[in-house]
Amino acid sequence: MNRAVMSADHPLPEPSAPSEGALPVAQAGPLPPGMRDRRARLMRFIGTYGTIIVLAAMLVIFSILQPGTFATVGNFRNIINDMAIGTIVASGLTVPLVAGDFDLSIGYVASFCGLLVVGLLSFSGLSIPLAIVLVVGLGTLIGVVNGIVVSKIGVNAFIATLGTGTIVVGLNYAYSGGIPLQLTQGREFTKIAIGRIAGVPHLVIIMAAVLIILWVILNRTVQGQHIKAIGVSPESARRAGVAVDRSRIVAFAIASTCAAIGGVLMASNLGSGQVTAGDGFMLTSFSAAFLGSAALREGQFHIVGTLIGVLTVAVGNNGLAMIGAPIFTQFLFAGTLLVIAVALGGIGRRFGRG
Amino acid sequence: MAREPLLSLRRICRSFGGIQALDNVSLEIGKGDVIGLVGDNGAGKSTLIKILAGAHDPTSGEVILEGQPHKLSPPAEAQRLGIETVYQDLSLVGAFTAAENFFLGREIALGRGPALLRWMRRGAMGDTALRGLETLNIDIPGIRNKPVDRMSGGQRQLVAIARGAFWGHKLLLLDEPTAALGVRESREVLDLIRRLAAKGLTIIMVTHNLDHLWQVCNRVVVMRRGRKVADLSSADTNMEEVVAYITGARAISEAAA
Repeated sequence: MNRAVMSADHPLPEPSAPSEGALPVAQAGPLPPGMRDRRARLMRFIGTYGTIIVLAAMLVIFSILQPGTFATVGNFRNIINDMAIGTIVASGLTVPLVAGDFDLSIGYVASFCGLLVVGLLSFSGLSIPLAIVLVVGLGTLIGVVNGIVVSKIGVNAFIATLGTGTIVVGLNYAYSGGIPLQLTQGREFTKIAIGRIAGVPHLVIIMAAVLIILWVILNRTVQGQHIKAIGVSPESARRAGVAVDRSRIVAFAIASTCAAIGGVLMASNLGSGQVTAGDGFMLTSFSAAFLGSAALREGQFHIVGTLIGVLTVAVGNNGLAMIGAPIFTQFLFAGTLLVIAVALGGIGRRFGRG
Repeated sequence: MAREPLLSLRRICRSFGGIQALDNVSLEIGKGDVIGLVGDNGAGKSTLIKILAGAHDPTSGEVILEGQPHKLSPPAEAQRLGIETVYQDLSLVGAFTAAENFFLGREIALGRGPALLRWMRRGAMGDTALRGLETLNIDIPGIRNKPVDRMSGGQRQLVAIARGAFWGHKLLLLDEPTAALGVRESREVLDLIRRLAAKGLTIIMVTHNLDHLWQVCNRVVVMRRGRKVADLSSADTNMEEVVAYITGARAISEAAA
């Protein structure tokens, strides 16, 4: 997806025609180099700091509008706790995005895995650890299937993951009949998402662990290096001896595993299995990852950026709720933010020094 | 041409569907040879290079490396045997530093097993790449920290060739190494190829620029319509003769028959 964009030259936009009264020198050619540089620098700045500016602006605006409720330590604790599961799913999605692949199945995987873990506990009577291991393993397997379909069979990732995601929805309905499942056995399961260690919520600890592991994989392991390489230039990587197909499969597997973990935590948090509870993660994860690509890195996807992206989405939603905005504005906000996010990432890539 | 043989191609044919891309091509490559491979578009140069690089298998014919028959494909096998290819473009990852590109696919790492569990040793990779470039007298700032897409085309080509020379201890294949470069950058790249040749590295260079060929190569091999039509010592021929072979104005020479 971003391959074409990355490899293209970085043409500057055609400057508008000079006005009537302009000097002949200016009429002869494009903008003078000084101005063009300034414009490119501004665009590069927007592409690199755009998300952080959006986040800072929202923090300031909501703090001014609701100083008593929004700008409080307790509220920020809530924001962090509420965004934990979304962060896990979004940071997982970041890995195939770094490799240059979309994964549209993550939301459906999260929904199905959340439902399935409740089912396995309530109806199959599995122990909590076994149920979790099976469900997360299933998530990994779905990711491996995505990766094989995309890399070995060569189906466009966008379509392939839309297809596998829809199959997962089918499995979900086949298993549940489209009805939410109540947790009747293994009540301890709910303590995973709700407990605290030394005052820090479990969810926040798990989120931090996932973020650290994914950051290390992408930035410190050979696998991460290969995933980055194929995202920038798959052909160069292949010729240098990188196992391109395997790297793509690993990337999809990581995304799907994180989606499954997110689904399990969501079920633990809700104490039930909801048929579509995780579907929304797809949109928010893409928003977060694209916002993150316009944070500090000139349009490249990266884990820390995605964290900043999730924070931006979460602060926006929380702030809108705090000022009492009607529910429809949350959708307007989410959709607008996704478009802004992709635009910012694109600006970063086009005007980056790369 | 009394060099010790490194690699022999014997009666190599390669067809794609109904098209005969290589027709009975035999070529003796001696250790230390610097061969300029020329010919019109579609003459079979690329197919020949790809067979040597392990990217294609010959339909028929033999490849003898140091006296032993060998299969060069897949490319990883050719690389393992010490044959490296520098493609015209697409050989470097733009967002990576020169050091990262040097070790792409062959990272220095701690641990064994799947790539997911191998910890990259960035420091060691940077040191080794720097030393490797220094021994070739290549002085480019920012080897460790500057993405190669912020380097000039000439610098990128130097990095790509140096990487090939670093890993390809037997044979280095260069696909139009000066095609996209300006005069000064071409000179730097040709200087590097000369230095590599002086170290005894065997090199095959595809080029359309006969002037560049004469500056570095001791042999000229001309391809035309899938066949080798001339195999000449650079000292015994001249540009007019080579052009005549390329265009077909002269038929197969005795040396090539």
